[in-house]
Amino acid sequence: MLVRLVTLVLATLLATAGVAHAQGPLVVSSWGGNWKDTVERVVGKAFTAKTGVPVEFEVGGTIDRLAKARVAKGSPLVDITLTTTHVGRLYISDGLFARLDMAKLPNAKQIAREAIRSEYHVGAWAYVYTIVYRPDLVKEEITRWADLWSPSLRGKIAMPDFDPSHIITIAALMEGGNELSWEKGQERLRQLKPNIVAFFSTDAQSQDLMKTGQAPVQVMLSVNAYHLQEQGIGVRVVQPRDFPGIVGIDTMALMAGSKKSDLAHQFIDLALSKEVQTELVKSLRAGPTNTGAIVPAPLRGQPGIFLTASEWKERGYIMNDEARAKTLPAWREWFTANIVKK
Amino acid sequence: MKLLLAPAVGVVAVFAAALAALLQYSVLEFIPGSLRTGGFTLANFRGVLAPGYLDYVWDTALLSVATTGLTLVASYPIAYALARTPSRRIRSWLLVLTLAPFFTGAIVRTYAWMLVLGNTVVTWPVPMLFTERGVLVGLVHFSMPTMILLLAAAISHVDPVYERAATSLGARPARVFWRVTLPLSMPGVVSGSLIVFAWTFSAFPTPELLGGGKVKMIANVVKDLALDSFNWPGAAAFAMLALAVTLALLAGLSRVAAGRAP
Repeated sequence: MLVRLVTLVLATLLATAGVAHAQGPLVVSSWGGNWKDTVERVVGKAFTAKTGVPVEFEVGGTIDRLAKARVAKGSPLVDITLTTTHVGRLYISDGLFARLDMAKLPNAKQIAREAIRSEYHVGAWAYVYTIVYRPDLVKEEITRWADLWSPSLRGKIAMPDFDPSHIITIAALMEGGNELSWEKGQERLRQLKPNIVAFFSTDAQSQDLMKTGQAPVQVMLSVNAYHLQEQGIGVRVVQPRDFPGIVGIDTMALMAGSKKSDLAHQFIDLALSKEVQTELVKSLRAGPTNTGAIVPAPLRGQPGIFLTASEWKERGYIMNDEARAKTLPAWREWFTANIVKK
Repeated sequence: MKLLLAPAVGVVAVFAAALAALLQYSVLEFIPGSLRTGGFTLANFRGVLAPGYLDYVWDTALLSVATTGLTLVASYPIAYALARTPSRRIRSWLLVLTLAPFFTGAIVRTYAWMLVLGNTVVTWPVPMLFTERGVLVGLVHFSMPTMILLLAAAISHVDPVYERAATSLGARPARVFWRVTLPLSMPGVVSGSLIVFAWTFSAFPTPELLGGGKVKMIANVVKDLALDSFNWPGAAAFAMLALAVTLALLAGLSRVAAGRAP
């Protein structure tokens, strides 16, 4: 009897393992470095433990991966893509994402309304673009966006040139407009020009400029600022008093044509669960999208960490994704011609 | 014989196909907020022929000319020493020093320059990092090893007997150099200058890192259009324009060089 039972159990286990491996791994497209390591450790391992299906990663920059996805349209090389919310709009416009089946994402009910970006992509975590500076190199305290225009910051500020949407939106907000009426902030932005010493194209460049002190004030991603703090660089992350930081949401989506739709839904649902979100917050120091996630005390109230529906509304400004994706080329052209060029 | 040409034909075919795809993209309508393209249009070329974009072509040409000139001036004495020193030991050291940058990679070298040109290691009287001056320094350093090797090869082919003959006839060293050595080493000067000019014209990492987003050359603008603005048709049009300008300039320089060749 015992022998038959053991045989049955072993046969069942082998059959299950066989099915899991026959399906092959679930492939996730992600940014490299700490992003991939965290998702692999926090979500991937839990997913494999739960389903028996291994998870593999394809890593690269936001646009490199978009270009790859376009080339592989119809028979995607990956099953899930992690990307920024507005670049997600480009995937959607080209039919690269599949519509999510919300019935298969029960944890989505617990995530902030703002994090459900479309029927195709949902937020995994959030952060803000805000002011970050080195108090050892900047004498005056910075507490507001308006402080960036101070003459004492002449030649000290750096900001991204690949996406000026944050500072353009802030300037528009300061002039009573928003990203849709961004022209209102143009004159104010021109006045900021003498204070800008450099523009960066990558997070690594931004961090180098901060570490070396060549640009001790930056409009920077909150998660990158926390990363610098972990490395012992004494940067201060500002929660501006006059206008909120610009929220960024990194999203997850199922690739159109993926043959592992069910598994991909399971992976996304797991990533949205309270437990996994709690771990993601700890590792990335980003804001959870699941409002039930437990946030360590030192992170509560910090820029980019939103705990409640009202905090999502009040402590960050979320741009219209579609408008951002459509207007970004015009913003860049204007910004390059009027601010970046000598 | 025909079989030997097959690899070259294959390479040309691949490049031609890539160029044809680029040309096709450059005449398709850009739809903001979408990766899809519209129908046939010449608007992309009208866009990149606007003064704002032509400024980048002009800046790139100026930086390329300045880089070529400075690289030539800085490299010639080293190449001369490399070709003419009787000491094998000195020649070996010079060769090692010349070749060393090849083994460090463009990105590592450029990051090193970021430290040097910033005010962290040296305090400069004028700003160097994120200026055209800084980019020029990086480009010249990047180009020097190739220029030195090409010049050294050319100078080593100049028979010293000619220089000794000139000296024996009373010519001073400067006159010997201007009237004998330099003209006879012109093949190296021309080939080195053409190569340095061509690759400076398409430089990417040096202006990207040392320019700090403030100094942009053609390749940086193509990348900005394609990868930051998602305007791939615009990027293709600008790349085609840049290619045409490069070919025209190289053709002109080759004609000038051919006219001056000894």
